[in-house]
Amino acid sequence: MIRKLIAQSVLLLAVSASVLAQDSAIPVGDPERGRLVFGPCRTCHYPDAFMGHNFGPNLHRIFGKVAGKQPGFDYYSQTFKQAQFVWTEQLMFAWLENPGAMFPESRMMSRGVPDSQDRADLIAFLRRATVREVSLP
Amino acid sequence: MTDPDKPGLNRRQLLAGVAAAAATTAAAGACAVPRSAVKSWDMTVDVLIAGSGAAGVSAAIEACHSDVQVLVVESLLNFGGSSSLSGGVIYAGGGTALQKALKVEDSPEEMFKFLSQAGTTHPPLDKIQLYCEESVAHFDWLLDQGIDYSGQFTVAKGLPMGDESLYYSGTEQAWPARELARPAARGHVPGVPGLNGGRHLMETLIPRALKLGAKFRSQVSGEQLIVESDGRIAGMVVTIDDKPMNIRVRRGVVLACGGFIHNREMVKQYAPQLYNCSVPWGSAGDMGQGINMGVGAGGATLRMHEGFAIAPIYPPENSISGILVNASGQRFISEESYHGVLGHAITYHQGGKAWLITDQGSSYTFEQDNFPLAAKADTIGDLANRLGMPRGSLQNTVAYYNRHAVNHNDPLFKKSSSYLRPLKGPPYEAWDISVDRAFFPAHTFGGLRTSVDGEVYNSFGEVIPGLYAAGRNTAGLPTAPYIASGLSVGDCTFFGRRAGRAAAGGAN
Repeated sequence: MIRKLIAQSVLLLAVSASVLAQDSAIPVGDPERGRLVFGPCRTCHYPDAFMGHNFGPNLHRIFGKVAGKQPGFDYYSQTFKQAQFVWTEQLMFAWLENPGAMFPESRMMSRGVPDSQDRADLIAFLRRATVREVSLP
Repeated sequence: MTDPDKPGLNRRQLLAGVAAAAATTAAAGACAVPRSAVKSWDMTVDVLIAGSGAAGVSAAIEACHSDVQVLVVESLLNFGGSSSLSGGVIYAGGGTALQKALKVEDSPEEMFKFLSQAGTTHPPLDKIQLYCEESVAHFDWLLDQGIDYSGQFTVAKGLPMGDESLYYSGTEQAWPARELARPAARGHVPGVPGLNGGRHLMETLIPRALKLGAKFRSQVSGEQLIVESDGRIAGMVVTIDDKPMNIRVRRGVVLACGGFIHNREMVKQYAPQLYNCSVPWGSAGDMGQGINMGVGAGGATLRMHEGFAIAPIYPPENSISGILVNASGQRFISEESYHGVLGHAITYHQGGKAWLITDQGSSYTFEQDNFPLAAKADTIGDLANRLGMPRGSLQNTVAYYNRHAVNHNDPLFKKSSSYLRPLKGPPYEAWDISVDRAFFPAHTFGGLRTSVDGEVYNSFGEVIPGLYAAGRNTAGLPTAPYIASGLSVGDCTFFGRRAGRAAAGGAN
């Protein structure tokens, strides 16, 4: 078990490191286009804090948070429960290309966003939408 | 694929191309496999169910009551399908236990009138009638499975954010529906806070099926049905870890693996209006595989172009006092209609384009991701110019609307008086509600043609022996326009149960 944990941690660290090394790889994104790219993600995720968790965890201020540790969300896969890495734009960009490939145990029921420009737009939207403070209308 | 219009091909080349295309299609799983081509069986079960959403799991629960071996296969890692991502709303009525507890008056007859008259032309009356007649008993069944409903009711429009369990989930109170049938609250939603009642629904139903003895296998994809020489379904080719395996089925196969909104080629071909909607809505498994397997075995399809297209202009309800207009600057619907009815009108009848015109009192005053601001002006004329609408049209629309709204009257679409007031008080704003600019979720309703017991028909109207389908693998209760939340998951659970019973050989 411990060996498995270590293996996973090493894997996740390796993932982060290799992704961080590609810092400049994210194309310039358009947040307005990203608003619609994010549309299908809204089946399960909200970027605004007041909406809380849904089928997936809330995304408010997701960049900079350690993955898989949000209070009140009890449905993380083992991979994310044990994760030590911090969500960065680069890691999110890499993960969403093919979610099942990077973290096969994830419970996210998404086919991913294979197009890199779409993904960059999505990240540009999240950069904006996950830090705004909106309250219930 | 071959192109029959391509010049310069002789017949032999053309036939070779057709053969290649057929081989490709077979490999992709569209065609059925003759039993004679199956060398050996890897597994045998009585009832095989493809898909672990509300339809498949309800089928499994009922099949287990016939004391048969039941296997549920799911192509994804996790069980629950799109149902688990949904609000978990079940459309139920006619005097359910919850309606009675909350003193909501209803009858099967009023429910039938609503479902048969407020939506599509020539709806599936046999399914609607049975659904209405047995709705009270079906809701009791849901309670028996252990699904929690709170004793709370809300008059607010839209899926409750709190733990309320009964609300008006459809277009019952909007014209013309309210004149066709006495409105009643029929949206039964698990009493959990937030918008994800579907998780509770599936977290209750799946353990129930397991307890009754059903086996569940994830990451097993159905590829092709296996057909005996007399047309009976003998089993299914599935893939496990990229390896094909043949599952023999003694009693019946139930196809219950969702719609096809994520199979973009299929959507483009069969449901072009839905293809234009900005947001494919559903779990990653909604790839049309079950429908294609059924078609490959001779199953007929219905309503493949239909689906749910959603324009969520409310909440907040103050926006309903605005007016929805088309590219000609004209109103076309009551703004208080259910989101699915609004979305349908825009998607299928207005070329995908619409704007919500608001004044100070009806504007969106908070940052929202649904609808971009298309134009803003101090006069309606300037707003119309900025939108490129025909000269004078929007002004006429607003003047006519205002003249009657001041008397709480809407001669065109009879919007309820509580939402009626003249548009006055600049700035006027136009919010883009077009299918490709707004947050406009869509999923599919078309699928295999089935009996009320889930038996799949071929194109001659004959039942394919041993083949059953349920949920969004079928054309069921949900038709376009989608007139109420809860019809899809309601259909999945109700007709899923019947398909499971029939496949197991039990009496319905």
